[in-house]
Amino acid sequence: MTPRQRADRRAGLLFLAPALLALALLTVYPSVWVLWLSLERRIPVFGVARFVGLSNYEFLAGDPRLWNAAWVTLAFTGASVALELLLGVLVALALSGQRAGRRTALALLLLAWALPSVVTAKLFEWLYHPSAGLVNFLLGGRSLNWLGDPHLALPGLILADVWRTTPFVALLCYARLLTIPGALYEAAQVDGAGRLAMLGRITFPLLRRVLLIALLFRTLDALRAFDLMFVLTGGGPASTTETLTVYAYRSLFQTLQLGFGSAIGVIVFALVMATAWIYLRVLRRQGMAA
Amino acid sequence: MRHLSSAALLVLSAHLLLGGCQPAPPRAEPVTLVFKHARILGPSDPLPGLLREFEARHPGVRVKSESLPWSTDEQHQFYAINLEGGGPAFDVMMLDVIWVPEFAQARWLLDLTELMPRGELAAHFPAAVEPATWGGRVWAMPWIMNVGLLYYRADLLARYGLGPPETYEALVAQVKQIQAGQRDARLDGFLWQGKQYEGLIVNLLEGLWANGTRLVGEDGSLFPDPARAEDVLVFLRRLIDTGVSPPWVTAADEELSRRAFGDGRAIFLRNWPYAMDLFELPESPVRGKVGIAPLPRHAHGARGTGATGGAHLGVDRRTRHPEAAVALVRFLASAAAQKTMAAGVALNPTRTALYRDADLVRSHPHLPLIGALTAAARPRPVTPYYLMLSSTLQPEVSAVLVKVKTPGDAIAQARRTVSYMLRDVR
Repeated sequence: MTPRQRADRRAGLLFLAPALLALALLTVYPSVWVLWLSLERRIPVFGVARFVGLSNYEFLAGDPRLWNAAWVTLAFTGASVALELLLGVLVALALSGQRAGRRTALALLLLAWALPSVVTAKLFEWLYHPSAGLVNFLLGGRSLNWLGDPHLALPGLILADVWRTTPFVALLCYARLLTIPGALYEAAQVDGAGRLAMLGRITFPLLRRVLLIALLFRTLDALRAFDLMFVLTGGGPASTTETLTVYAYRSLFQTLQLGFGSAIGVIVFALVMATAWIYLRVLRRQGMAA
Repeated sequence: MRHLSSAALLVLSAHLLLGGCQPAPPRAEPVTLVFKHARILGPSDPLPGLLREFEARHPGVRVKSESLPWSTDEQHQFYAINLEGGGPAFDVMMLDVIWVPEFAQARWLLDLTELMPRGELAAHFPAAVEPATWGGRVWAMPWIMNVGLLYYRADLLARYGLGPPETYEALVAQVKQIQAGQRDARLDGFLWQGKQYEGLIVNLLEGLWANGTRLVGEDGSLFPDPARAEDVLVFLRRLIDTGVSPPWVTAADEELSRRAFGDGRAIFLRNWPYAMDLFELPESPVRGKVGIAPLPRHAHGARGTGATGGAHLGVDRRTRHPEAAVALVRFLASAAAQKTMAAGVALNPTRTALYRDADLVRSHPHLPLIGALTAAARPRPVTPYYLMLSSTLQPEVSAVLVKVKTPGDAIAQARRTVSYMLRDVR
């Protein structure tokens, strides 16, 4: 390294320092603090604060409520993300193949995506109403107990989440479809390719990267899902819709068990980090991430 | 009946101006009090008027009124973060009754014992005073009262020559008789709150008391009489199994159940007093057809007992103006101010005498009966870890209602969790 390069490097680091410092303050400091809290028994209301090592984790390992919450979180994430990607691609394809009404469709999609999730939750509370709800009406006037039946509550929440976030995937894919040059399809047509062949050979390979990004975003989001279940079901019935974040929230802010709640928070954090790490490896293999 | 005529309001404000405490001596420096409170719903929120009146009586004191987030969960979170984290101090805080012992234990509240004249609390319902005091000290002033009631369709009961049921067995029998007679598939029997949230625990507590037992025993143990507790859980589940309550009560909160009953689709409803005013609105399908009764009792209970709720007023321990803050608390909890609140937005007073007040009874004819039921009501367990108990119990009771767990398993699991949480606290 020449002296000039070294000087440049120093200057670069200097300019980056405020941003790095801010990042450290905003992410590293709280993360380390939560990790530390999770090793403590800390209940400020009673002035209890002492180091207990892994005791919180030991209790959680045998805590049926935690295992249930982990299962609910994974089931919710798997099902909603899969449905959202599938529907999102279909909607994007439909949009790109259709000229009439495209603007209206885009506006409607944006509306669903733009609604605050608490509003979405309230909306679905009405849609799922056992006797006056639209969903049961569409199902032929049944009186399914969507939010109060342990078998229906989670599917009901997944449907609400799919309704809310499919537009995100659809818009992302639609934007990518717009950038595919028409010449590619024309050439394929000249070569005698059918519609299916064009989808499989041109459209999907070009969509793949966008889909991976959408998958990453949506999975990390779904693993932290909170507001839909908090408003719609409160985690019930029988905790069948209680995700890890809802359990963490209840322990932290309702029962003010800071150490215990932090331990749940650390578990969520580890789950999200592990998922992000796996995805980033895949993306890197695709040559998409540094 | 939620509004007062302007003439009545005028009389009221004159009354407020003349009565109550004497103005404080003027101060050299202007004092600004921050009053944190839940939004008061209703077309005629009387709070701003009350605060202006307080300012007029205390020259040099201004009150900044700041509303809290929407749900009580978020309000609790807001207070916990700001008070524990040393955020900006407020002066006067509106508190859900169930938080007062917790906030007092955490030393977030100013001890009001020496600042309040002796006997000042005596005018309030015992069930409101009990949660205001913790460890023999006074931490808050009762402000707004709530009590669990049984609503019934007086018209339907009268058609079959029935009176409001005194026991749950009678309630079940009446539901069956009326449903058989009415032959209306859309008419539900008994609605209550079975969603996995705080309201479910309120319903459980009322069931336990109605069966002659309680949630926390004298020695601090959870479910001191598990057999009677199991009876209550079995009964709640059977209500759903036998069709006395519709399956969706397992997702019902106050509003969901209140609307179904208000649409004329149920015979009985357990709810708070606010529902009565909505049932009596001109456009209500059940207007003039609804009666109020005490909650029924179970086999081992002497009588049915409603749980109380409502709001208290406390002072932040870090306030820089304790005298002014206490003056505001006393002003808002005064008989005149509580009367204005009750008349304006139908938030019931905590002072027993107001339930016999001629003006209020004229506009709210059910008030004397609600007052009698409140006098016999009980607060939820008065302990700093009430929210922890409730949060632990909610999934367990919900699991019993939807038949995922037996009552015995649910009680055992709740005891296990609570004993871990309270290991070195109790």
